[in-house]
Amino acid sequence: MTEALIKPSFKPEIVANVGNLPITNSFLVTIIISLIIIIGALSIKKRLKKNQPGGLQNLIELIFEKLLELMDGITGSREQTKQFFPLVATIFIFVLLVNWVEVLPGLGTIGVEQHHHGEKILAPFIRSGAADLNLTLVIALISVIATQIIGVSALGVKKYLGKFLVSPLQKPYFIGTFVGLLEIISEFAKIISFSFRLFGNIFAGEVLLTVMLMLVPLFVPLPFLFLEIFVGFIQAAVFAILTLVFMKMATEAH
Amino acid sequence: MELLGNLGINTKLFIAQLVNFAILFFVLKKFVYQPLLQVLEERKKKIEKGIKSAEQAERKLAEISEKEKKILEKAQEKAQKILLEAERKAEENRRLATEETTTEINKMMKKADEEIEKKKEQMLTDLKKDLAQLVVSATEKVLAQKIDEKSDEKIIDKAIAEIK
Repeated sequence: MTEALIKPSFKPEIVANVGNLPITNSFLVTIIISLIIIIGALSIKKRLKKNQPGGLQNLIELIFEKLLELMDGITGSREQTKQFFPLVATIFIFVLLVNWVEVLPGLGTIGVEQHHHGEKILAPFIRSGAADLNLTLVIALISVIATQIIGVSALGVKKYLGKFLVSPLQKPYFIGTFVGLLEIISEFAKIISFSFRLFGNIFAGEVLLTVMLMLVPLFVPLPFLFLEIFVGFIQAAVFAILTLVFMKMATEAH
Repeated sequence: MELLGNLGINTKLFIAQLVNFAILFFVLKKFVYQPLLQVLEERKKKIEKGIKSAEQAERKLAEISEKEKKILEKAQEKAQKILLEAERKAEENRRLATEETTTEINKMMKKADEEIEKKKEQMLTDLKKDLAQLVVSATEKVLAQKIDEKSDEKIIDKAIAEIK
């Protein structure tokens, strides 16, 4: 029996098909992580007590307070923090957990064998959800669209559009128009930078871990595992904080 | 589009991920963020209220003790005043009484003096009368005879007038 090749690819491998929907390994992982988060959310809600917080609730409250304080530092007002908090926190929690999947044992090694162009290729079951452009693009799009919505609701349609579409006949003349054009481009660039930054970091981490495991299976990959835990946290934090900053910027007129 | 396909972007998976994230967002918002924020907010309010009422109570206590002090001070002052007044009145009364007594004594003394004077005068008059009589009777004896009632009286009167 020839061994199946482990060949990292940009595309998440398809491990099953449900009706018309191809189930890729990263999608599978994403769904499982989502279920875990939902179950966690429901159990937190069930245990939530008003006046006698237990140990777990204390911890969660502490994290919440610190996060709110951190966000207050960026937005400058508790009202705005409350408005932005749900999306930013969801992005952070979701991206963090999905990133950390890559340090699970079995990454890139346990899976089903598939035949591609006469080659035996292993389609692993575990692939970090963020090593899938579908996911990163979805979150990036949601973040950017939410930013536009918040900008419009804070400034009004006319004023918000005024950031991007500047008449060439006004004071700084064509410079203003040009800057407006750049603003439009930068909004689209945000989608791409958001999605590719996360994808690139996590995918690279996965490839690195897989290669290290194949080269020296014992001990040597350990520091890289810690490194990937750190990278996963940093990328989640970067995604969330950038979303917050862009939202704050969208609410401010020029 | 081919590029996107090569990068693994798949419309169906894209939509599935979108739905997944949306569900996650709403579940977390409804079951975690909102209730937890509410709990935190309520607790914060409660603590603030507690601190505020404690401060109020403290302030009130200080106010009351201040008032108490003031009242005590006032009472002491008043007591002092009353005492002084009483002393002053007693002194006055004593002075008045003494004065009255003195005048009374003076008056009585004067009256006594007068009386004594009067009595003295009376005594003197009586004495003169008696003396005159004695002189008359002595003279009578000497003369051994009464001239007569009329001349007798005349002589007596004359003698009295001479003595006077």
